[in-house]
Amino acid sequence: MSETVYVGEHLWVGNVGHFAIILSFVAALFSATSYYFSGRNRDAIDISGSWNRMGRIGFSIHAVSLLTLIGILFYAMYHNYIEYSYVFNHVSEDLPLKYILSAFWEGQEGSFMLWMFWHVVLSIVIIRTTGKFEAPVMLIMMLVQAFLLFMILGIHIPWGDETLKIGSNPTTLLRQVNDAPIFANAEYLSLIKGRGLNPLLQNYWMTIHPPTLFLGFASTTVPFAFAFAGLWYNDHKEWVRQSLHWSLFSACILGTGILLGSLWAYVALSFGGYWAWDPVENASFVPWMTLVAAFHLHIVSKNTGYGTRTMYFLYILTFFLVLYSTFMTRSGVLGDTSAHAFTEMGLEWQLILFMAFFALLGFGLYIYRYKSIPAPVKEEAVPSREFWMFIGALILLFGGILIITSTSLPVYNKIRTYFNPFYEGKVISDVMEHYNKYQLWIGVLVALLSSASLFLKFGAKAWEVQKKKYGYKILAGIAASLVLTWISSLLLDYPSWQYWVLSFSGIFAIVMSIAYMIKIPQKSFKLSKAGLSHLGFGLMLIGILASGLNQRHISSNPFVFKNIFNDEDVKKYVQLIKHRPLYSQGYLITYESDTLIDRERRFAINFQKLNEKMEVQESFTLYPHAVYSNDYTKVAAFNPDTKHYFNKDIFTCVLSLPPAMTSVEEAKMIEDSLKYVDYPIAINDTIQIDEYIIKPEMLTFDPQHQDYNEREHDGGLGVRIAVYDTKEDTTYYATIAQGLEGALVYNYPATISDAGMKIKLADSTIERYFTPDDHADYHEYSIKKDETININGYHIQISELDTQPEIDGYKAEDGDIAIAAVLHITGNGIDEIAKPLYVIRNNQQMGIKSLSSASGLHIRLTNINPETEQFTFSIAAEDRKSKEVILSIATKVPRNDYLILQATIFPGINLFWLGCILMMFGMLLASIKKYKQSRQ
Amino acid sequence: MNRSVIIAFILIIAGITVFLSASKDVSTYANFAQAASGDKVKVVGQLAKDKPMEYDAQNNPNQFSFYMKDDKGVVKQVILHQPKPQDFEMSEQIVVTGKLHNDIFNANEILMKCPSKYKNEEIAVREQQD
Repeated sequence: MSETVYVGEHLWVGNVGHFAIILSFVAALFSATSYYFSGRNRDAIDISGSWNRMGRIGFSIHAVSLLTLIGILFYAMYHNYIEYSYVFNHVSEDLPLKYILSAFWEGQEGSFMLWMFWHVVLSIVIIRTTGKFEAPVMLIMMLVQAFLLFMILGIHIPWGDETLKIGSNPTTLLRQVNDAPIFANAEYLSLIKGRGLNPLLQNYWMTIHPPTLFLGFASTTVPFAFAFAGLWYNDHKEWVRQSLHWSLFSACILGTGILLGSLWAYVALSFGGYWAWDPVENASFVPWMTLVAAFHLHIVSKNTGYGTRTMYFLYILTFFLVLYSTFMTRSGVLGDTSAHAFTEMGLEWQLILFMAFFALLGFGLYIYRYKSIPAPVKEEAVPSREFWMFIGALILLFGGILIITSTSLPVYNKIRTYFNPFYEGKVISDVMEHYNKYQLWIGVLVALLSSASLFLKFGAKAWEVQKKKYGYKILAGIAASLVLTWISSLLLDYPSWQYWVLSFSGIFAIVMSIAYMIKIPQKSFKLSKAGLSHLGFGLMLIGILASGLNQRHISSNPFVFKNIFNDEDVKKYVQLIKHRPLYSQGYLITYESDTLIDRERRFAINFQKLNEKMEVQESFTLYPHAVYSNDYTKVAAFNPDTKHYFNKDIFTCVLSLPPAMTSVEEAKMIEDSLKYVDYPIAINDTIQIDEYIIKPEMLTFDPQHQDYNEREHDGGLGVRIAVYDTKEDTTYYATIAQGLEGALVYNYPATISDAGMKIKLADSTIERYFTPDDHADYHEYSIKKDETININGYHIQISELDTQPEIDGYKAEDGDIAIAAVLHITGNGIDEIAKPLYVIRNNQQMGIKSLSSASGLHIRLTNINPETEQFTFSIAAEDRKSKEVILSIATKVPRNDYLILQATIFPGINLFWLGCILMMFGMLLASIKKYKQSRQ
Repeated sequence: MNRSVIIAFILIIAGITVFLSASKDVSTYANFAQAASGDKVKVVGQLAKDKPMEYDAQNNPNQFSFYMKDDKGVVKQVILHQPKPQDFEMSEQIVVTGKLHNDIFNANEILMKCPSKYKNEEIAVREQQD
């Protein structure tokens, strides 16, 4: 096989990159080993022990080489080295710089690296703050890192006839993973273009959501590592005392990451909602639920010693679920059921190994130590806080198990199919309904428990004294919540009794949390963080009820269908025709215009809210838009636009466009299918086609046409056309234009959708008004600077001489003598400037002619006599006496001036966001507080 | 009896109840013959490319009609009560959710599997374009 020497490749990137991966992997294993030995000598510990030092050195090498890898790949992406497969797949030349980060973590390998990056950051914090738990915690961190690097190792081992592929190296060359014939060409790089970032992902959400989510994932490793430390050392007190802030931090960040995802879905994608129970969403939500359950038991264990065993279980489970969710989203097993899982990459067995290793390590050690984990013999008192927190944690766990079981259906199918290829896979018929109907009760129970237990004390302290007071508080809370629930039912619709219960529990949680916090000032302040988070939970529930159950479609379609589907869904879209207002649900909706900016087509949709007297109460315009694919050939996505009020949102999204606007291919097909007929016609004459009378009303040589004005032309003409519809007794107007640039003719047709007609000027039209230069009839005129030339009623005067002219088609060179005569043309109601150019280059005379569109004068400056100060012009004048144009008209043209719109009101959606933010904020504050306490 | 045993017992009972009641939510992918019962089902199939597709946004933007061939080779008309999805013609596999009614399958949900954009052949194609 002959070796091709490829041109323009930067092979050092791949060499350094792969070396960095392997070094980083080995260093992580070395560090883990060192930390293992350091941890074994726990009693003989001193932080500067030699095993410990080795562990740190190993970590430093690991960190530096990992950062080098990230840096180098980033560098390659920044410089568009598309010889690398990862760069080729995620970057293109025209990708704006601000999206390079997004492109970096768009792919599997990049997101693994993002995850590892956060582990490095967290490890630095651990080394600096953890003290004597450094060894076991870092042991776990390094093991996890080693497994993540294992995914991108990129080593191929011959295995019998096949090759065992370990990991997917992000610095692999494109030609190594592809067999395309193009790679026979040594200069293949100059022939290919990067694919670029999926247009759907070109927004700031893609910049902030993945890093937050992956920091959330990475941070769940830390509580797991602490739990491992506790089990290993058989010390179930010390780490519990020290590490609560890590769990709170992790829950806060993971929650925020998930929340940003749903905010993204709601604000920038066309899903029309913030949560769809998609497997990918569930896969990160369930570990969050178990983590929240775990840190509640952590608090219980820390304060009372109860619940320690369950807490261990939950921390191990949380980390396992993070790995399981990684497996589900990255192995391709969700392919059929999820809108946004990754595709298969051949890493399945590695992911399973990753999961299995930590499951065995975590659960194995747990079972081994189970008996020695202290559990108080005496049961918790029923009126104690710890008892109800324990129940709450179990309910969260229960809810999580329900979700993950349903979500795992594709995994179950896969296993069954493995044993029985004829097994028919099972699916959930109605996903939203399935999850909602069970999670509703989890929501109810968590809301009730989280608020009622706030007033209880650990160890049921002074219960006998407090008993009565507590009873009154709960009764008052119930009474107030009942009243508020009834009031809320005036604003919101609760379609079944279950929703009444959910509404009551949410309101009860709000009332009790607020009541709890109002009492606070006399006491210590830290308690209110729980109140804040629980208040947030209540608000979130009410927000879900309001926006989910009571959303109303402004775009309600009048076509009621057969009664087969009763839900609103089937009729929530309407067609809007440009400039034709549509009245629906109290709003007058008008599609006003569309503008193409870069790759986005923005649609201006005006909403006028009318009252009963049909008076305009409010008017606003929303701009949903369509994003075209990277090569501009078709619509890749529709993005919504939303009007925010404090109590509701009005959400709009375009669902569909006319085929001609959707893809270049379709537009061409439609254009090709049109049959144009030419009609020579004088201005103000008429022709009739079917019921339409067509009349060119005005001919202008300075056309005002949006597309025409975007391009510079030498000259052009425009015709204003009126089409009278004899049936409807209305007239439609349109302007068509034609432009001339050198020898090229540009056509600007118009579609009159109401008449199903497309009109353009036949190509030969422009020749009638702009004679080709070789047919033009030139005459010579010699004048001095203050004299005037008179032709056909035009007066031409030299207004000045430009010795440094900037004229299209002229590039100044050294030694040029260039003069442009700035001519002022007046007469026949026209006032125009012409600028013919005269150049002497290398003793040769040249010139560039000036064509004046309106006056129809072709002017050349042919000679300048410095002695006589005579300027010689060669001028040809157009004969434009006959005002006739040739219209090319096609009929039965499909409409191209409509869009399909969804417009939905989401009431109370801000309660949902506010509730979620409060919940996360409470956790963050608590985490900071606990961190400070652990340092004392 | 120990309280935690009672709690565990309650949880197990609740779990079994949920499991039994949720089994109604689960179904297999059906074909048109199985959809004849009139229940809401998911049918897997392919677009019958030789039969007409109809979408007239002016008349009713929420109705798109096409013919689909299920995995037993039965072809039936499907009316999707949604605008026509993008890239519909390119789909390799279609999953529609809905009910069979008067021999027409009325769907309110659709999932399409399109050829992956990460196909190797594409590189060669690109070369010709540029």
